[in-house]
Amino acid sequence: MNDLGLIRSENLAIGYGAVVLSGMNLDIGAGQFVALLGPNGSGKTTLLRTLSRHIAALDGQIWLAGRPLAGYTALELARLLAVVLTEKAAPPLLSVLEYVALGRYPHTGFLGRLTVEDMAVVSRSLAVVKAVDLAERWVDQLSDGERQKVVLARALAQEPRIMLLDEPTAHLDLKHRMEVMSILRGLCRDRGLTVLAAIHEVDVAAKLADRVILVKDGQLVAVGSPEEVMSSGAIAELYDFDDAWFSRELGGMEIQSDGRAGRAFVLADRGEGAIIHRLLARRGFSFVAGFPEEADLDAHVARALGAKIIHRAELRRDGGLERAIAALDACDFLIDAGGPAEEAGVYCRLFEAAREHGLPVLTQNAEMSGCRHYRSLPELIDALEELSQRSEAKNH
Amino acid sequence: MTTLATLTVPHDPFTLAVRRHRRVFYALSLLALLLMGANLAIGSIDYSLGQVVSALLDPGATNDLGFIVWKIRLPRVLAAAMGGAYLAASGLLLQVYFRNPIVGPFILGISSGATVVVSIVMLTATGMQMAFATPFLTTFAGCIGAYAVMLIIVTVAARVRNGATLLIVGLMMGYLCGAVASILTALAEKGKIKGFVLWTMGSFSGFKWVEIGILFFFGGAILLSIYLLSKPLNAFLLGEDYAASMGVAIRRFRLFILLAASSLAGLVTSMAGPVAFVGLAVPHMARLSFGTSDNRVLVPGAALMGAAVTSLCDLIARMWLNPVELPLSAITAFFGAPIVIWLLLKRRGARL
Repeated sequence: MNDLGLIRSENLAIGYGAVVLSGMNLDIGAGQFVALLGPNGSGKTTLLRTLSRHIAALDGQIWLAGRPLAGYTALELARLLAVVLTEKAAPPLLSVLEYVALGRYPHTGFLGRLTVEDMAVVSRSLAVVKAVDLAERWVDQLSDGERQKVVLARALAQEPRIMLLDEPTAHLDLKHRMEVMSILRGLCRDRGLTVLAAIHEVDVAAKLADRVILVKDGQLVAVGSPEEVMSSGAIAELYDFDDAWFSRELGGMEIQSDGRAGRAFVLADRGEGAIIHRLLARRGFSFVAGFPEEADLDAHVARALGAKIIHRAELRRDGGLERAIAALDACDFLIDAGGPAEEAGVYCRLFEAAREHGLPVLTQNAEMSGCRHYRSLPELIDALEELSQRSEAKNH
Repeated sequence: MTTLATLTVPHDPFTLAVRRHRRVFYALSLLALLLMGANLAIGSIDYSLGQVVSALLDPGATNDLGFIVWKIRLPRVLAAAMGGAYLAASGLLLQVYFRNPIVGPFILGISSGATVVVSIVMLTATGMQMAFATPFLTTFAGCIGAYAVMLIIVTVAARVRNGATLLIVGLMMGYLCGAVASILTALAEKGKIKGFVLWTMGSFSGFKWVEIGILFFFGGAILLSIYLLSKPLNAFLLGEDYAASMGVAIRRFRLFILLAASSLAGLVTSMAGPVAFVGLAVPHMARLSFGTSDNRVLVPGAALMGAAVTSLCDLIARMWLNPVELPLSAITAFFGAPIVIWLLLKRRGARL
């Protein structure tokens, strides 16, 4: 078994009549988990359907396991490649066991009679997706999550080397989403199955996939490991994000705010700020993040949320404090979530400046006078609520 | 990983299912035979069971009883049983093909299409003294009519992925064909009208042995081929895309399903006229009594059930208001139509 070239394409053009994606040169090796990312309508499903030969390629060549795709008989192809489609195929009066056994189709003989070996494969497939206890249920009475596991088991019963999946976790709850993904991951690692899956969860792709394929506007944008190609900018461009941001460091999405509720200056570091940053963004505030170190979690969250950040190093530079006070001027209030003792002097100057400009100060420090104290996050939320109402009243 | 390899599913539901299927098969066969026997023994002229049996054992007899049993009752019994079996198999194929439980050869207008073409042949060719003389011709005409409607239905289905539209198109085809048939009736010779009208209401009376032969060999061959192809038919349960991905040569198989389903419907309709709802209701009754969608069980199962149900309906049609014989389609509609409504209610909010 060679490592590369299980799925290979050269100058491939695909589409229904009109070209959707063109000039694709793919080379996917055995045992890889490949995630196909791109906005709706970018041709992900078309690519999967072309590779499974449901539709013909418009131009170019495809090789599976070294042989041209066109040279396979239907049964040979079914033994090499299985699919999981978005279609909900759950006929009535069919038990899970019978349903999964249908996957033995390319291996069984006359009338599809199952041998002992076939039965063993069926049980094993059910065991792999942890669905043995579903065996006697009717397929049309399963929940979405249970059904998807059974659909996976049916594909596995084909004993394929390649599995193509079109949004395998759509409509699933979080538990089943993660379960399906980790099953697929395990199949790649333990059994050398090659998985090509069109998925929408960018964060899951970044964490699970060996390689990702980004497609957009009729082109392959990038192919490579998530570390190489899934930069925050590339993902934002792929999906035309306006107010969302994929943070590679955090491995997740952050939703930015338009700042209509007001602007805050947040003093926090060492992870204390992240939760406050998200809270502010959620309630429609923009903010300035005060003085985290560059590698601080707070700095990453603030950047993903599109905030202005004044790093600790910047504060220490000449005129740093003045620039911080200038930034504070443009804010509506100050939140003090604690900070290092050595910066106490700087903090005092900022509090003074806030007081001079009549900016409210929210703090956890009960010893501070003339400030609004909060002891817990719910209290902070109440305080923010008041502030946003006040700024709304002011605007009217 | 060895524990996984040796893991078996508790109670082996496959074996349990096979046992249940076998029991239902025995019961259904017994029922069908009993009903056929009843149809043979009971009629407008009273004979004892012993007399009928002895007439059966003596095919050469020239008395009244021998004539009634061999020329009237037996052909009718066999025609009803085979006709019911074929219509049920045709309906089963259509339900699998369209993945819609509320279709059958009658409701999709396929029987009506066959009726129209057969009518044209019957009413225009009688002048040439050949229509009823050549059952092959009417069979052929019935199939042509069925294919034509099927072609229209499939074209519509490819454009509109909506089960309800399919039914409406089928209904419209039925109306259209009914209109053509009534125009033909108006133009026909007076002497032919009564027989023709009776035929358009569905009846298994007046079958000749040559027609029984055609039913048996032509229909039997199609039924057998459907059974032999029940493996790809099962793959089809998951839809065309999945079936193709499992190795079914989809284009060829699709053509086979459509040809087989409409040939069976055309064949039965050309001889017995349009028989309502058997093709729609019987596959459901079979599915529920066998408790499976496995077509390896359902193809013979639905055929057997179709034979039993149609025999029962024919018995009722003949004997309920004896000596007046009721149109068969009226009786089949009595139990078929409620089943359609029940299915519609069951699926409300679902895909249909």
